[in-house]
Amino acid sequence: MHGIRRFLDFLYTASGVAAALCLIAILTLIVVQMLARWTGEVFPGAPDYAGYAMAAASFLAFANALNRGAHIRVSIVLNAVGPGLRRLINIWCFGIGAITAWYVTYYAYRFVSFSYKFNDISQGQDRTALWIPQSVMLFGMVVFAIALTDHLVSLILKGDHRIEQDRMEQSFGE
Amino acid sequence: MEDLNIIILFLFVLFLLLGSGVWVGLALVGVAWVGMELFTTRPVGDVMLTTIWSASSSWTLTALPLFIWMGEILYRTRLSEDMFKGLAPWMSGLPGGLVHTNIVGCTVFAAVSGSSAATLTTVGKMSIPELRKRSYPEPMVIGTLAGAATLGLMIPPSLTLIVYGVTINESISKLFFAGILPGLVLAAMFMAYVAIMSRVSKKWNPDAEPPLTFSQRVANSRFLLPVICLILVVIGSMYLGYATATEAAAFGVIGGLILAASQGSLTWKSFTESLMGATRTSAMIALILAGAAFLSLSMGFTGLPRGLADLIAAMELTRFELLMVLLVFYIILGMFLDGISSVVLTMAVVEPMIRDAGIDLIWFGIFIVVVVEMAQITPPIGFNLFVLQGMTHHEMGFIARAAFPMFLIMVLMVFVLIAFPELATWLPDNIRQGPG
Repeated sequence: MHGIRRFLDFLYTASGVAAALCLIAILTLIVVQMLARWTGEVFPGAPDYAGYAMAAASFLAFANALNRGAHIRVSIVLNAVGPGLRRLINIWCFGIGAITAWYVTYYAYRFVSFSYKFNDISQGQDRTALWIPQSVMLFGMVVFAIALTDHLVSLILKGDHRIEQDRMEQSFGE
Repeated sequence: MEDLNIIILFLFVLFLLLGSGVWVGLALVGVAWVGMELFTTRPVGDVMLTTIWSASSSWTLTALPLFIWMGEILYRTRLSEDMFKGLAPWMSGLPGGLVHTNIVGCTVFAAVSGSSAATLTTVGKMSIPELRKRSYPEPMVIGTLAGAATLGLMIPPSLTLIVYGVTINESISKLFFAGILPGLVLAAMFMAYVAIMSRVSKKWNPDAEPPLTFSQRVANSRFLLPVICLILVVIGSMYLGYATATEAAAFGVIGGLILAASQGSLTWKSFTESLMGATRTSAMIALILAGAAFLSLSMGFTGLPRGLADLIAAMELTRFELLMVLLVFYIILGMFLDGISSVVLTMAVVEPMIRDAGIDLIWFGIFIVVVVEMAQITPPIGFNLFVLQGMTHHEMGFIARAAFPMFLIMVLMVFVLIAFPELATWLPDNIRQGPG
């Protein structure tokens, strides 16, 4: 049990760190592209690579954002009810969340495998085989779905979902 | 009438998922799925993934994490002290005195940060204790801070405007420039209110400031210069057409890092915190955008947007009446949803109405930002109120009452914007055409 816990926490953190590296990659790509333009060089496909890094940065960070309470939810009802009912509503939320995430994950898997099978190539100048950036999305989705399930299980077994809702963290989006 | 029943079912699912507290992004995916299953026979899952992938991997979207990161870096610098020290000597002579540091400080920080909560925290950290020390009336201090911090959403860079631009496919640079003049006008209106109150109110009795010579004032505000330069580089590069919004954001991140390093506040800890914070916030918004992209596809199949647009057209509302209806609608929506979610959730339905009514979509972006800004300072979920509660430990009701005059000023701003649409449209029409 202890080993699984440590592995999962490592997985969430590692994928969050990978997302942060993708953010640095976006910055680097854009700077290099600007330098190229000023010096009259061409960096073909830079916008496409930045787009892939954007998708990767988002999907890889979903689980980390969930654990830190950064994802926005409407909490009026949750705050108004007593602890017993709140637990039930939370089970419903994590249940719906986990089902949705696994559903998306399943179709993400199909999406990537079609791209791989039919050897889909990007329409842009980058000519990337699309299954490569798409499988990063798939990986991030799997980690996110696992995280939601993980919280659901601990909510049912231990009565608590281990997420600290952080209003400060959420409010930075506004 | 079978269609109507299905639409009611669809809306019921929407309210159920959002209201019970399912994370907004996932709730939108769930609602969109229900809509697709009810209204089409197409294979839902595969369409869903194509939509989510193209919405998430777009180049325009990259401006979002970079601007968030820039704000996060500057939020962790010594800027809040510098801001107060630098602005105070210039404001002390104005009627209303140092309360103006709240408003001007927020305006300046809004120009480097797209977030209203970050603006509020940065400015308030220093100005609340300093203004209290000088016995300014507490409701004034808190109210102006809550109100002026919402400028973070309007003055570029603005996260809400990026999200709006991505949602309706409009140029983000244009939207940014549309926000500048209305943002300044709103700031001026807040300042005028402070000036009037300082003359009228009997409770207004702050301690006098020691007089400073001109050179002392300049010496005190020299720390503000780097920030002003950064703002000029970021906004100027977009205006002169040297850079796209994304590229300007990259300038901003690098400039922010240099600024933080030169102040000695760039440590490994603050760097990683700003980076991870930006990654999470951007992921949070990306999840909402992915869900919203799928939902707007699904909405198209339900026929709801078209139906509503036709209904509105049949009612033959004037433009003004339509805007009033939307104003009330968004104020109510803002009581339950945050700004970004309100924008993405409604645009699929509202966009056809706006286009039919012949309203400029850039102008409407500014309108919608002023209106969702109001939600930031109204209970029950106004984020700025919560942030202020955390900072001052006042009761929610006290803070909401202190902020209420600012809410009224913002309502007034909506009418100013309707009366003088050029405020929002003149600058974007005159930007130099840049690279892509």
